[in-house]
Amino acid sequence: MGAGIASGGPLSGKIRRMPAVEIQNVTKMFRDVTAVDQLSLTVSEGAVHGFIGPNGSGKTTTMRMIANILHPDSGTVRVFGEERTTTRSAIIAYLPEERGVYRKMKVRALLEFHGELRGGRNVTAEVISWLERLDLAHCAEQKVETLSKGMSQKVQFIATVVPEPKLLILDEPFSGLDPVSTDVVRSAILDLRRRGCTVILSTHDMNMAQTLCDSIVMIFRGKKVLDGTLESIQASYPSDTIRVELESGTFALGSLPGIDRVNDLGKVQELRMAAGCDAQQVLQALAARARIVSFSVIKPSLHDIFVRIAGPQHEVAAVA
Amino acid sequence: MRRILLIAKRDYLQAVTSKGFIIGLIMFPLIIGGSGLLIAVMNRGNAKTQRVAVVDHTGIAAAAVIQAGINLTRRNNAAPGSGIDTGAPFSFEEIKPEADEDAQLLALSDQIRSGRLSIVLDIAADALEKTRDSKTPAVRYYTNSAGFDATNGLMTGAINEGLRRVRLERLNVDSAQIAEVLRNVPITSMNLVKKDAATGKFVPGEKKGPVPAGVVPYFLVILLIMVAMTGVMPNLSVIAEDKMQRVFEMLLASATPFDLMAGKVLASLGASLTSSAFYVAAGLAVMTGLAALQMAPLNLLPWFFVYLIVDVVMLSAWSAALGSASATPQDAQQMAFLLILPIMIPMFLLTPIIQQPNGTMSIVMSFFPPFTPVVMLLRQALPGGVPWWQPWVGLVGAIAFALLVIWAASRIFRIGILSQGKTPKLPELLHWVWEG
Repeated sequence: MGAGIASGGPLSGKIRRMPAVEIQNVTKMFRDVTAVDQLSLTVSEGAVHGFIGPNGSGKTTTMRMIANILHPDSGTVRVFGEERTTTRSAIIAYLPEERGVYRKMKVRALLEFHGELRGGRNVTAEVISWLERLDLAHCAEQKVETLSKGMSQKVQFIATVVPEPKLLILDEPFSGLDPVSTDVVRSAILDLRRRGCTVILSTHDMNMAQTLCDSIVMIFRGKKVLDGTLESIQASYPSDTIRVELESGTFALGSLPGIDRVNDLGKVQELRMAAGCDAQQVLQALAARARIVSFSVIKPSLHDIFVRIAGPQHEVAAVA
Repeated sequence: MRRILLIAKRDYLQAVTSKGFIIGLIMFPLIIGGSGLLIAVMNRGNAKTQRVAVVDHTGIAAAAVIQAGINLTRRNNAAPGSGIDTGAPFSFEEIKPEADEDAQLLALSDQIRSGRLSIVLDIAADALEKTRDSKTPAVRYYTNSAGFDATNGLMTGAINEGLRRVRLERLNVDSAQIAEVLRNVPITSMNLVKKDAATGKFVPGEKKGPVPAGVVPYFLVILLIMVAMTGVMPNLSVIAEDKMQRVFEMLLASATPFDLMAGKVLASLGASLTSSAFYVAAGLAVMTGLAALQMAPLNLLPWFFVYLIVDVVMLSAWSAALGSASATPQDAQQMAFLLILPIMIPMFLLTPIIQQPNGTMSIVMSFFPPFTPVVMLLRQALPGGVPWWQPWVGLVGAIAFALLVIWAASRIFRIGILSQGKTPKLPELLHWVWEG
């Protein structure tokens, strides 16, 4: 059993109590569209928090409000206990999803500019250290426009974390990165967390959310619909999923009694059992139809939960 | 403030080290100098003789009119710039009236169209008569010119002098007396007399130099316009480009929209002050070299820089707003007309303002805040100047208006840099200002 899901992250169970971010009854509208609707959530200090949700659900708006770029129409946003209005401070860093930098500037000059703009002083050493760490030291004197997309994204990441923030907000930080760069950035995020930095990141990669985040918040249509560690989220769902691998592929899965839904993942398939269905009966029925390579009853994955909530026939209402 | 200065420093360095800025810095004086050279060359090209046909229905005036025309042309050539400068010599010839007047005029008009003839002066038979019907023209002047040259004035002088001579002859005035009566008296242009503020003594007006008094003020105002435009215009496309490249998204985590806009305004101001200081210094150096420093309006330089600062701040804030609202740099270029209006309208009206610096239109325009920097500076620079209080009142109005523009622009900028999709129309921009 189990889908290779890590526990709720290395810090699971020892997340500190002091909230880095407190959002209370926040609503934000753009003209007639309610982007965030009476949202309340708390982000604990010193952990990695994942924001998931479909496009247009309000994740970016929420992160922009935390970063003080947008202001709520109603409700309050407190960061490290302070409600902020128009100020910017070095303790919060924000990497937007849609991002760009001055392409005509040289990499090191650009990073020093961003670092100083965020309130850093004498950031050169920090910039050089990060360039070396992300394998960009050789590009320090190159113009940004000469870099590949992946290198440019790593530069944007460095521009966000110099000087080192207390709260790091990352909107789709892995978007467009190759696996090697993804590992480098993930390692850097975990390193920042180890040094006490609170990280909020949004991602559409459910595997990344499962493995990287200590807690997960799902926002759907402006409302919070999930909030907790992966274990606590999964615990609220029954073990109603069968992961199966058959020699004959999906051929034998048609009209299987007790199965509501078949999710073909390619080599393996996930079957959602109807309420009251017994997995043993499904196993017997399958064995009668095909040779079974593997069969396990698992908790629904985060991906599955996401689809259950945000799919065409979403199943749950918003949680309190 | 630290963030504003950081942004301003980055943008300023980017602006003044760009090829466009450096090339523009060099090209502007070359274009101005080149234009003058081109006009001189073109005028030299215009110096080919223009044929003037005089059709005299009185039968007695043609010779006198032609002689007067020749005299006037000769006087102009002897002292160019002191009289009516048409830029070309004339050859006059008398054409005998034909029975079919319409056919003759048509033939002469065709000659003008084909370029063989330039002007036809058609003198009516009763042109010399005191009791003639004033509803019909005494002299018809046919030409194909657009009316921008001074030929009309010269021909009017020739006709009137010629006809007066004939009238005097008909009154049996002696020809020597006629010459004495019609003798031309040149006038000498003088500066106004004044009283020395320190000694209280009378200071006589000096003879004006060969350069018209409006030339230096004109160039000073053109310099202000050009420097302001070159400092401000790039903002439009640069900001739209940054928005399209999502640069602002990154910066907004570190700086407020107002920080960003203020930084860009300061950078534009820095670029404008850099180029204007370069031109003013170069101009003063050239005038010193030509021993013409007395023509330099040194007392106006502080006002020049004050107006430049107000104008650039006002326009660059406005350009930041328009650039931020534009979806693409191309859209930003289409919005450029909204930016250049406060500059271009007074520029088109420079000539009437120079002619009537204290006319109602000039005074009203100089107190209209968007136009104040250009028009008030021009009025101050022209001979006669303005009452002492007018520049100060104009300046206060311009500063107040600049602050209003900054306020409105910052509200547009704040929304514009994060907005996506179509470029908003003017009513929506006003809605952004209203809603903030």
